[in-house]
Amino acid sequence: MIGLLADVVGRVSDQATTSTTTIPVPCSISSGGAKITSVCSDTNSLHISVAYRSILPVLVLVIGALALLAISAVLPKRSRPGLYALLTVAIGGLALIASVWQWSDIGNINAHVPAGAQAALNYRLAHQLTIGQQVFYDRFSVLFMALVSVATILGAMTTDSYLRREGLDGVEAYVLMLMAGTGAMLMAASAGLIMLFLGLEIMSISLYVMAAYHRRRTQSGEAGLKYFVLGAFSSAIFLYGVALVYGATGSTQFLEMANFLGANSLSHNGILLAGMALLIVGLGFKVAAVPFHFWTPDVYQGSPTPFAGYMAAVAKAAGFAGLLRVLDMGLSTQQANWRPAIWLMAVLTLLVGSVMAIAQRDLKRMLAYSSISQAGYVLVGLQAASSTGTAGALFYLFTYTFIIMGTFAIISIIQGRGEARNDLGAVRGLAKRRPLLAAVLLVFLLAQAGVPFTTGFLAKFYVIQAAVQSGQYVLAIIAMLSAAIAAFFYLRVALLMYGTEGEAVAGAPGVSGGAGVSGGAGAGDGSILAGLQPIPSLDGATATATLLDPPAVDEKVRLPVAVALGICAAFTIAAGLSSPMIDFARHATTLFNLK
Amino acid sequence: MDDAPFRPWLAVAVGGGSNITYVEQYLPILLLMVVVGAFAGGSVAGSRLLGPKRPTGAKEGPYESGIAPRYGPAARFPVRFYLVAMIFIIFDIEVVFLYPWAVMYRQLGVFGLSEMAAFAVVVFIAFAYMVSNGALDWGPHQKRGVPATDQLTRSTTSTVRRVPRPHELLLGVGPISMEDYPEPEEPAAQPAPSP
Amino acid sequence: MYAGFLASAASSGTDLANASAWAVFLVGAAMILTGAFGVILLRNPVHCALMLVITLFGIALEFIDQSADFLAAVQIIVYAGAIVILFLFVIMFLGVDRREAAGPEATKFQKPIALILGAVSLVEILILSQVDHWVSGAPSVAGRLDGPGENVQKLGQSIYTRYLLPFEMTAALLVIAVVAAVVLSRRQQPGASELRAADKEKLVVGPGGAE
Repeated sequence: MIGLLADVVGRVSDQATTSTTTIPVPCSISSGGAKITSVCSDTNSLHISVAYRSILPVLVLVIGALALLAISAVLPKRSRPGLYALLTVAIGGLALIASVWQWSDIGNINAHVPAGAQAALNYRLAHQLTIGQQVFYDRFSVLFMALVSVATILGAMTTDSYLRREGLDGVEAYVLMLMAGTGAMLMAASAGLIMLFLGLEIMSISLYVMAAYHRRRTQSGEAGLKYFVLGAFSSAIFLYGVALVYGATGSTQFLEMANFLGANSLSHNGILLAGMALLIVGLGFKVAAVPFHFWTPDVYQGSPTPFAGYMAAVAKAAGFAGLLRVLDMGLSTQQANWRPAIWLMAVLTLLVGSVMAIAQRDLKRMLAYSSISQAGYVLVGLQAASSTGTAGALFYLFTYTFIIMGTFAIISIIQGRGEARNDLGAVRGLAKRRPLLAAVLLVFLLAQAGVPFTTGFLAKFYVIQAAVQSGQYVLAIIAMLSAAIAAFFYLRVALLMYGTEGEAVAGAPGVSGGAGVSGGAGAGDGSILAGLQPIPSLDGATATATLLDPPAVDEKVRLPVAVALGICAAFTIAAGLSSPMIDFARHATTLFNLK
Repeated sequence: MDDAPFRPWLAVAVGGGSNITYVEQYLPILLLMVVVGAFAGGSVAGSRLLGPKRPTGAKEGPYESGIAPRYGPAARFPVRFYLVAMIFIIFDIEVVFLYPWAVMYRQLGVFGLSEMAAFAVVVFIAFAYMVSNGALDWGPHQKRGVPATDQLTRSTTSTVRRVPRPHELLLGVGPISMEDYPEPEEPAAQPAPSP
Repeated sequence: MYAGFLASAASSGTDLANASAWAVFLVGAAMILTGAFGVILLRNPVHCALMLVITLFGIALEFIDQSADFLAAVQIIVYAGAIVILFLFVIMFLGVDRREAAGPEATKFQKPIALILGAVSLVEILILSQVDHWVSGAPSVAGRLDGPGENVQKLGQSIYTRYLLPFEMTAALLVIAVVAAVVLSRRQQPGASELRAADKEKLVVGPGGAE
């Protein structure tokens, strides 16, 4: 919709021939000019060139969301239950095709880079910094656009059966999902803090509402409220950081910031450091890095299960995209300052996530802590501050999308109507009841634990390799240690699935340690420290009782969910055996370390 | 220099004159606000000073179709009215963007017009969606096409009985207080009355 | 009166400008403080919301004093108009006549802590206002304030050229707000099966358990 007419009517000017060392600003007010009308004297009218190709998937999602709204406004209510899901899958598919096309289009751009450093820089700025220089058109953006498209497709497939089972209305869920995806794409593509903040808000506000979408579950409303309050707080912190960094560098554009910081050494860099810290805090909240993770378990537990999966995949990816853009591009000269902070965050995130996940009795809470721990590995890749580390982080985020969305899809199947069974006991004996489902869940669990021949192993391998290459041996050892701790609770779920009735009662560690461990969890749970009232959950005695209960829920798998699970599992195994994905991820770091 | 006292008025006539100070531009607005305040305050004070005051219970009580009110005025209203507020908000935000656009309209030309058109179309789709969800359906929720059913509880006798006696009115008995009667249900939460 | 004031200060234009700027600042500050005290001291929540309007008008006045015309207009259009309307709506939902009874523990610690925090932040601001080297950065992007063109023109030029994409994406934000309002204010219609599911949930999950 972005000025669709403008492309037809407005003159599309090509900025490729500009050859100044500074980044060209089209139609800016020159300080010597007398009147504004004389600024763009060649046309006597202000306009910029709008390169639609650089935001094609974003346009697809936005127009798709608006089309869904318009259709729902025209059609009578509840006329076609599956229609909106089908349309959303189609929109996501279109966005995926668009991003694949973008990938090859950028290949064309890369093929024509002229020789000479300055000429190459100008060429890239002209072709890869588009729409008023707000958006990067590089493979980093495109990789995330593809990721979000995939997540939207998978999310729409799994959401449909969930909404039908719970008797909820459809169209808003898909509109919000598409809008959240739009925000995530904009965050990944942003070339400046303003675009980044806007993308962050678009994504976050959609996700707040998605968390509160199940209107009849009190936990859902509670999750939405908590997410909203804490999220709005973190957005404000981020915005404060933007203001301080702007004050310190005089620009909100990443490349201009990097130029300024590269050319000037600040004698008083307190403002810059404070701004940087606030930016890290704001984005660290979105990716659920310790110590900004307190919202995660409550929100994942309360949110509708497929939305929790979408959140874990998309919000995390977009948050990391923002962190990579800010730290690796805008503040790349300040590595000495931010790398220790990220180091500490990575260590805390890895350990706290893994250890807390062991103590959880609730499947969704466990996965929430597990996703915190997984964010720690991406932080390890970010901390390396090298193209290897960035590639590892990208690979991690892309593969994790499939794993986590598949896991939450399975949980949404086995939890039954009204999300009745979210405790660990719900998976007991799953292998006997639904062997195929159990096998698929096993694949996801092994992948998250980092077992070889899955994408999870490769992902962990790449980020740890990057840490070793940049000399962070302690961090690498801690990451491996955390993987060993995390394997415990993934394998516990696997044991519960595959154990027989008697073994499950006597041998499963979750049962034997039930009361004691959950007592410890109550004391150590971060949500209490944060002053939040945790959602009433199982105490030790109830946990043991429910673990003994045979699950009595309808575990029917609808076709779209089955297809989505098949895609996730196939990708997790196939890309884990021999992966071209890491090559894609390496290509996606080309515009980085641009000097 | 001798025209200094008239500078604010020049500002009105010329529309931001050449050599008046910045804050002086806002003097007409200030004067307008003073006039508005004086008019509003004067009207209230004038009617209070000049008008006769003979209050009775009937005059003080809220008017409800000629029937003495049985409940206190509704303190809450259904959450659906929030949608009306949302409509107001989104168009309010649009106005914020229209303001600088209008100032730069000539320079922006067709490019700016198409930008603003795209923005307005998106907002309008949101508006249409809200309207289709009943944002503008005022009053209690009612199903379309269902004929209004006779309310058996509301007959002539019941209506007449609720009217206070004349001596009650003379004694200055106002509307019955809220504490005496439970608060009615929210109109939207009530299902349509079944026959 | 104004003419007399002018005549006395007619010797120098800058004196007049400074004097009127000071007058505007003082009036604005008085409005802000009056409104703020009204918000926390008045009993009726509707009156509190209306006092907030006075504060917001005062802030708009300070914006004008800082030559930020557009911000002043937005302050009045959006905050004094829309946001306070939303506040009033929320007050109406919750009930105008209802008074929130503050719990005993809230009153015991809340007031001293609020006072301490307020004093700390006041001291903080005073200290920070003495610090030099606030902005070490490059000149800003949109051009100098005393350069050619007025404030609103510069903003318009920035928004509709360089920040075109963020501007258009604001429309997406508005759409989300609309959808969110519809979703969250939709009536709840629990069906029979839903009630049973809720009961079942209650049976399985014991209430009040600490995790």
